[in-house]
Amino acid sequence: MSEENQSSSAPSNPEPASTRSAVPMWIIVATLVLLFLGFVYFDNHSGWFDPKIYTPYASAEQLDAYQPRSGAAATLAQGKKVYETYCGICHGPDGQGKPATAPPLAGSEWVNAGGIHRLTEIPLAGLNGPIKVKGQPMTFASGMVPIGAALSDAELAAVLTYIRSAWGNKAGEVTADDVKTIRASLGAHSPPMTSEQLMKMPE
Amino acid sequence: MKNGFAIFFAVLVALGSSWLGLVVAPAIQLGTAKLDPVLNSSDTWPQQRTGEATLGLQIYRANGCAACHTEQVRQAGVQAEVSLTGLGKSNPAEFKAFVQSLFILPELEKVTNNLAAFVKDWNGDLPKTFLTTDDLEAAGTMADRLKAAGLKSETLIVATGPDIARGWGVRRSVAADYLYDYPVQLGGLRVGPDLANIGVRDPVASAQLLHLYAPGAVVKNSAMPSFKFLFEVRQAGATPSPDALNLPKEFAPPAGYEVVPKPEARELVAYLLSLRADQPVYEAPFTPAITKP
Repeated sequence: MSEENQSSSAPSNPEPASTRSAVPMWIIVATLVLLFLGFVYFDNHSGWFDPKIYTPYASAEQLDAYQPRSGAAATLAQGKKVYETYCGICHGPDGQGKPATAPPLAGSEWVNAGGIHRLTEIPLAGLNGPIKVKGQPMTFASGMVPIGAALSDAELAAVLTYIRSAWGNKAGEVTADDVKTIRASLGAHSPPMTSEQLMKMPE
Repeated sequence: MKNGFAIFFAVLVALGSSWLGLVVAPAIQLGTAKLDPVLNSSDTWPQQRTGEATLGLQIYRANGCAACHTEQVRQAGVQAEVSLTGLGKSNPAEFKAFVQSLFILPELEKVTNNLAAFVKDWNGDLPKTFLTTDDLEAAGTMADRLKAAGLKSETLIVATGPDIARGWGVRRSVAADYLYDYPVQLGGLRVGPDLANIGVRDPVASAQLLHLYAPGAVVKNSAMPSFKFLFEVRQAGATPSPDALNLPKEFAPPAGYEVVPKPEARELVAYLLSLRADQPVYEAPFTPAITKP
């Protein structure tokens, strides 16, 4: 009986024998390959745990590329907004100025000057007294307050660029760096300047 | 107790690793988060809530609103939309020919089909979005070429995804959105709609109050429970209170009575109206739509 059992079971159920490696080599290789691919994916998609990077963006470079372009259109749109908030009340939404309140900006030689120095100083320092615009001497009930002193360089540059491009004006761009330089050179001005003082400055 | 040190060490590793992962790592990642600068402006994001809305967050929390409502918008992707706003000196036929002449550019290879469809269908109306693509390079090339040719175009960056298609937001929610929330009411289940932008979607306080008192009066068969206990039903005086809800007949109190919100309801609504994640931020850029006058 027992002999029979032995003879029938022995060939079909051989005693398991251990090989030299506990895990087959192909599993080790496959795991390493998966791990490698996983790290490649992580490297490409994680943003390295940067708190500023969310899906669908994978890196700071990609995110920068998708920021709305700070091109001419963006600058002008920003400038228009600043103008309507601060300047348009007196100078008018169409830049034509208002009698006894503020001179026109459209077609003004102060706005369309080749240099931007004098133009930038006006909102930074304020302006008092009579001024000659488009050949006409003008006087106003009150002066202009240094309304641009509270604006950031970028905002002031945008609004100056806007008034130099709107209503038929065709003067060049004013950059934030220009404003920064002029603001720094200006120091503290009080009381506001007059047009005579401005004329003595470089254009 | 010969294994005392080993047990102590194992417990230390087990608790310490979860502490590092759940407490320290998030604190390092977001603990120093600061207000986001708003693009093209000197403002910061988010804005501080009013006192009433800050109290309202606690009402929102106390009533378990976050059990059924989330405050997080998901975003699947981002697209650039190039639209033509002005033809300059050329006419539509010339513009179509110009677009076709660009098909040979390798940068535009992936979007040639879209452009061909546009050339086929466009009838000359302006402004016209003629290229919608997630290939930013192609959009940039297109914009540069149009500029060089004297045509006026605008490139919009638009967030995409199911939540955004539902109108629940214009961009994904980011950590900065919650800087003034304590505790943050993210929510995890959407029995009701997402509320991250409810102050944009429904900015009328009286409609919000009505919805809180009688959800069924605003949304038919609404699953939302009524928050009647945030309101007071009282006898109307000679002239009805200006705050009284304007209820439809089936929800109205008996004649001679009126429903007025308690301070809690006002605070909750002030909080809901303060939920407006509609500013572009660095983490989730998009081009805000310019409101036409």
